[in-house]
Amino acid sequence: MQYLIQLVISGLAIGAIYGLIAMGFAVIYKSTGLVNFAQGEMTMITAYIAWTISTTVSGNVVVVALGAILSAVVLGLVIERLVMRPMLGEPVFATVMVTIGLAVILRSSINFIWDAYPHGLDIGVGRTIVRIGGVGVRTGQIAVVATLLLLLAAIWAFFRYSKIGVAMRAVAADDRTALLMGISATRVHALAWAASSVIAGIGGVFFALSYDLSPAMFQLGLKAFPATILGGLDAVLGSGLGGLLIGITENLAGGYIGSGMKEVAGFAMIIVVLMIRPFGIFGERDIERV
Amino acid sequence: MRTGDFKQTYGELVTLVDSPPVWLWSAVLAAALIAAPFVLNSYALSFLTIILITGVGALGLNILTGYTGLISLGHVGFLVTGAYAYAVLVSKYHMHPLIGFLGAGIVPALASLIVGAPSLRLKGLYLAITTLAFSFIINTVILEARWLTNGARGISVQRPEMFGISFDGDAAFTYLCLGFAVLTLFATLNIRRSRVGRAFVAIRDNDTAARVMGINLHAYKLFAFVTSAFITGLAGALYGIYLSFVSVEGFPFLLSIEALAILIVGGLGSALGAVLGTILIVLLPEATRLVFSLFSAQMDAVFTTGAQELKSMLYGLVIILFLRFQPRGLVGAWHDLRRMWVNWPLRY
Repeated sequence: MQYLIQLVISGLAIGAIYGLIAMGFAVIYKSTGLVNFAQGEMTMITAYIAWTISTTVSGNVVVVALGAILSAVVLGLVIERLVMRPMLGEPVFATVMVTIGLAVILRSSINFIWDAYPHGLDIGVGRTIVRIGGVGVRTGQIAVVATLLLLLAAIWAFFRYSKIGVAMRAVAADDRTALLMGISATRVHALAWAASSVIAGIGGVFFALSYDLSPAMFQLGLKAFPATILGGLDAVLGSGLGGLLIGITENLAGGYIGSGMKEVAGFAMIIVVLMIRPFGIFGERDIERV
Repeated sequence: MRTGDFKQTYGELVTLVDSPPVWLWSAVLAAALIAAPFVLNSYALSFLTIILITGVGALGLNILTGYTGLISLGHVGFLVTGAYAYAVLVSKYHMHPLIGFLGAGIVPALASLIVGAPSLRLKGLYLAITTLAFSFIINTVILEARWLTNGARGISVQRPEMFGISFDGDAAFTYLCLGFAVLTLFATLNIRRSRVGRAFVAIRDNDTAARVMGINLHAYKLFAFVTSAFITGLAGALYGIYLSFVSVEGFPFLLSIEALAILIVGGLGSALGAVLGTILIVLLPEATRLVFSLFSAQMDAVFTTGAQELKSMLYGLVIILFLRFQPRGLVGAWHDLRRMWVNWPLRY
């Protein structure tokens, strides 16, 4: 029982990180209709920038957090403006391939800008262990779950009540009509890229806080992918919750079946989800069968 | 003056080659390829071998991505399955190499059936997602199934000996790869001009219209996927023999990206494009290294330390730049050039 609780709790912690990145996928899919295969790499870059700030400027939590968020916004906007906007109106195949090209460029740039060795992000918080009901948990792990829940609530309110949120939903539903209503689609796309970069970047920084930074961190994107599929590609909130589910599943599979299963549990789940409910648990868009 | 290229019968439309000069140049190319192993040094010959092997794989992916318009992000999964099928059959159970090659095609084809059956029912990017998942799952399966695959230790593979001919030497092995490449090229060209190939292209161009014409979308998509996996598996077996050692590390995820880069650079949906793209992409890292080493020895050092990273960066750049500025690839550029040559000084 103790073992089970331990597995579930650490599953929740890593699942919250997957959830944040998965929300990044969903925000972009919801407003631009394309799968951003460079999400994991963008997450990794933000985490590395946070680490650079913590070692060069200041190790203060607030400074690092603000710096990371700001740099994630800039990263998202730059990518949207330089790489994605010229592809506006091109077929989906071409735009998706561009994100794949972007992914490999960002991935390999890590080794040139930083280095290939693992680093720990140490800003004085998040590594102390507290005991809840006999199970040791890091404060960073509690913080990431809390952040995910907070962000879920904030995003729900944003899409439900704010004017920009409604505009984003309008572009997602029908961009031509939205355009006729006076909504600038390019501005909405830019906002979506920035928001997605920030949400996923927060996940990346938390990952660096609890584990380590390394050039293999882009695989977080691949791990978060099943979460988006499970929650629904167009469901931002669903993706966040999907992350928690995937994290728990992965840990249970790793704990009870074998460590090899931990790596592939999420991917196996993708195939099952696509067979049973291809639009995910919370997804709304009806996927056409052929 | 030539006014146009008119076809009067259906046979003329689907003929493999419609002009004598193309026959002539193809024959010259074939002669050059046959002579190449005698002329080239071993360094250049290894590039030729790699081009031929990569070409087989790219032609395989071209059936899926180029003709049928479906993206696969995990073709390296079929490459590694094919390589292991060959290695297990030939090195472990000492079967005839021909059976090994057959297995290298059939095993990935069966795997693709399992992956493709659920995901090809859906419209959109879902095949890209499931194939991506497949390429990671298959690595774990290979590492776990130690009784069959030796796990992480890998299997060493000898160059084959068939019908009294030993393919041990570099030149002989190049001929083997050349044989496979030529067979694959003709197979894909013939698929393209058959009823099946027309169905593939119809699905790519407009699936609703294709369905109205009576094409069974699911069956044909699955057929394209299985064929593609079969050919890619053969390329995997050849690559395994070339490396003389089959392991999970020998087939990194980058190979999937490389294959897609080849198709985009060459021009989607054309066998000629796949060939041109293969040549460019295989030689690109080497050519870049040469150009940079002209400027300074320091750049040369960067290339030797970060070779893998620079390679992937180049592939990414090439993919983005071609999609942005020349979406029809090298084949498109070649067609434009040819039209300009024929019609000059008129635009049309």
